[in-house]
Amino acid sequence: MNSTTTPKSKFNLFNLIVVVIIALIAWSWFGGKSNAPQPDGQNDSRALRVLAGSELKDIEPLLPQLEKDTGVRLKLVYTGTLDGAEQLAQGADYPLAWFSHAKYLELLEGARNRVVAREKIALSPVILGVNQSRAKALGWDKTAPSWSDLAARAAKGEFKFAMTNPTSSNSGFSALIALIAALSSDPENFTLTAPQQQTVQDFFKGQRLTAGSSGWLSEAFVREQASLDGLINYESVLLQLNQSGQLKEPLTLIYPREGVVTADYPLLLLDAKKRADYDKVVAWLKTPAIQQRLMKDTDRRPILPSIPLEARFGSQTLIELPFPGQRSVVDRILTSYLDEQRIPAHAYFVIDLSGSMQGERITALRQALLNLMGGDTSLSGQFSSFREREELSFLPFRNIVEPAVDFTIGSGAGKEASLAPARQFAQDLTPGGGTAIYSALAEAYHKIYVAQQQQPNRYYSVVLMTDGVNNNGMDFDDFRAFFAQLPADTRKIKTFPILFGDADTQAMQQIADMTGGKVFDGNKNLSTAFKAIRGYQ
Amino acid sequence: MNRLLAPVLGFLLLAGLGYAIYTSMNGQRALKAQTTITGLIGSEKEAFFADPRVQQALLKQDLIVKVEKAGSRQIATAFDLKKYDFAFPAGQPAADKILQGVGKRPTYVPFFTPMVIASWQPIAKILEANGVVREKDGVYYWFDLDRYFAWTQQETRWKDLKNSEAYPVNKSVLIRTTDVRKSNSAAMYLALMSYIANGQRVVASREEMDGVIPKLLPLFLRQGYTEYSSEGPLENYLSMGMGSSPLVMIYESQFIHEALKTPSGIRPDMALLYPEPGLFTRHVLVGLSENGARLGQVLSDDPELQKLATEHGFRTTDTAAFKAQAESRKLAVPAQLVQIIDPPSYETLEGMIQAIEQQMK
Repeated sequence: MNSTTTPKSKFNLFNLIVVVIIALIAWSWFGGKSNAPQPDGQNDSRALRVLAGSELKDIEPLLPQLEKDTGVRLKLVYTGTLDGAEQLAQGADYPLAWFSHAKYLELLEGARNRVVAREKIALSPVILGVNQSRAKALGWDKTAPSWSDLAARAAKGEFKFAMTNPTSSNSGFSALIALIAALSSDPENFTLTAPQQQTVQDFFKGQRLTAGSSGWLSEAFVREQASLDGLINYESVLLQLNQSGQLKEPLTLIYPREGVVTADYPLLLLDAKKRADYDKVVAWLKTPAIQQRLMKDTDRRPILPSIPLEARFGSQTLIELPFPGQRSVVDRILTSYLDEQRIPAHAYFVIDLSGSMQGERITALRQALLNLMGGDTSLSGQFSSFREREELSFLPFRNIVEPAVDFTIGSGAGKEASLAPARQFAQDLTPGGGTAIYSALAEAYHKIYVAQQQQPNRYYSVVLMTDGVNNNGMDFDDFRAFFAQLPADTRKIKTFPILFGDADTQAMQQIADMTGGKVFDGNKNLSTAFKAIRGYQ
Repeated sequence: MNRLLAPVLGFLLLAGLGYAIYTSMNGQRALKAQTTITGLIGSEKEAFFADPRVQQALLKQDLIVKVEKAGSRQIATAFDLKKYDFAFPAGQPAADKILQGVGKRPTYVPFFTPMVIASWQPIAKILEANGVVREKDGVYYWFDLDRYFAWTQQETRWKDLKNSEAYPVNKSVLIRTTDVRKSNSAAMYLALMSYIANGQRVVASREEMDGVIPKLLPLFLRQGYTEYSSEGPLENYLSMGMGSSPLVMIYESQFIHEALKTPSGIRPDMALLYPEPGLFTRHVLVGLSENGARLGQVLSDDPELQKLATEHGFRTTDTAAFKAQAESRKLAVPAQLVQIIDPPSYETLEGMIQAIEQQMK
């Protein structure tokens, strides 16, 4: 007996091992079926596309950390706030969207219905940054001015500022809403009496620089800080400007007394199937550590109330002004801004009619111009169309510069009548001949110089559309010499070149740099390029 | 040796296999017993369901609960309810609307909460000076809806009020709510104000409705842009402060829940105002599937879950527990509310909302 027990126990041990192994295999085989992770489309590394406002670019450095912590990779595709709202209303396919605010978007029927969920991520009020010395001189460093104080100084030429176009950028839009709500005696209805309407016009007399995006506005402000007193932008952008080392003197942050409109950066879920990823991203963005980092790195205020504000945000009570709840009210405010309140514009269109423009190119040019004359009925098309009181000068060129053709857009019922000849003009454009770019541009600046003598209170700008290389008239050096002897006020007028066909990219960039303008690419869609430039006029 | 080994090995192999199958089946049985259910909830209950203690207590009842949040009034209209096991909106009217769509289903009211106005000490002082708020027992403030209503009809502004130096703002004195078309808390505000506008009577007929609507319109239209769910206005109140949100209609439970958090967003200069008369929001769980209904049962009956509901700021049938918690955490909330009215019928409330919606386009 004893002799067999030892080997038996050995076998037992061996068997036990065998059994355990078999059991493990069997368990993993039977049990594994119900436990094995399901292949899950949400967990793969494909990036989630986010339609995002361009002001959110400074969030980008946080995204690798987001992916590391949650496994969700976001790819931000940038656009303007209003453009983005329109794209979503028209059904653009993005699972997520992220803008500085979504209030306008939620007032658009087609866009509103697409929002499955929304979570605010951070805060930044739209306020004024005023050069320290100017703020001191006006006493604004001690007592915050009211919006009507600002208007009074602007009307007297004592406060010159930059602000984006409210129809293409949210910071300008928020400032306009705040201004109207602050001045109105019935702020919840956004109605203005005649004297209040005058105050709004006074305010915009001080606007000396406009732009289609908040980012470009700050860059242009840095270049032109010597001739401007301040700018309207997000608190976060102004704080970043102060830290950038690009300013000759720091900006004093001004929070107007009646109040402000604050961006709240909602992350929107549009595709219900991406709910799990969306929830992960939101939860991550709202963890105290990330909220802290958003405040440190991007100068936005945290949405988490438990995180104390750093000192640079100031401690004053920020009055939040009402925001319209109806699209019709917003549209009324924007239309009134364009047609009645802003400084009327005078746009010069220097357009290439050389032989190479024949065929599809001239058709595209005619269409682009007709679109600005009411041909584009989309939301952005309506807001980028030529406005009441606006003056237009067309300077067609080939080997020579043709006589300029001028139009003034009428008001009210007169608007349609004034557009008819302009439409006819666009239809009749016929190409043929060479390309005298610089002579045509010089002619435009000469005309602006003359116009400025008669009407100093217009907002002048030049659009240069060419599809080729200069081969007649002045060359770049001639033009530079001509430009240099223009008075300072005329040299401030920006040219926005549109690249088209075989245009010389480098030459166009030279012109934009010299005049403080910006190059737009019209090759994908010429109409879109013309439309985008309207935000800068 | 081999003769001995073969049967032993064979037996052990069989035993091992049997054991493996047994444990596997057992595991599967245990998994099967735990039911995963999905439901739509008003955002004010999101934190409750996300609480690990709540999830643990539900797991003890073999329930794994997944939730998606939505505006309470949207649940009935904007979702395919066939995909869900339960709907858990705030407010009886929202639940009634769901029941109209899905037919007869079991309902449960595991907890409820009164409507309150989140405000600030300086604002309360101004309102007190103007006779709309009064302090009682040194802790909480009663808010006179009747007088407030008169102000809304005259479009009274903050800067027009007596002693308004702390808030000299050119905005109408208006309680901010959610979007009345989407969310229950605004509908409850409408229920309260329609009672006031109707001369302290619950609106019950078409004629009465037609009479009060013009007076109620400004309360909503003048707010301008409104948020979709009750979390939005509270978030603005907590993170943007008095300048954005002097008066906000919220659920009492939201405030208490925030106050009990660490760290908490509630600060000493905040104040909770109790409207007079008051109104309870009942949180009604509609069981869409059998398992969904079981959740309603469990939430109502399980003592641990009822206790956790209290800790999330809700009131349950256990008033003593609510009072004890308020006292131990020094919360300035009344244990009992005296003057409480009922919301109008679902049809009446719906009719009023539609009439307002017409004007909001």
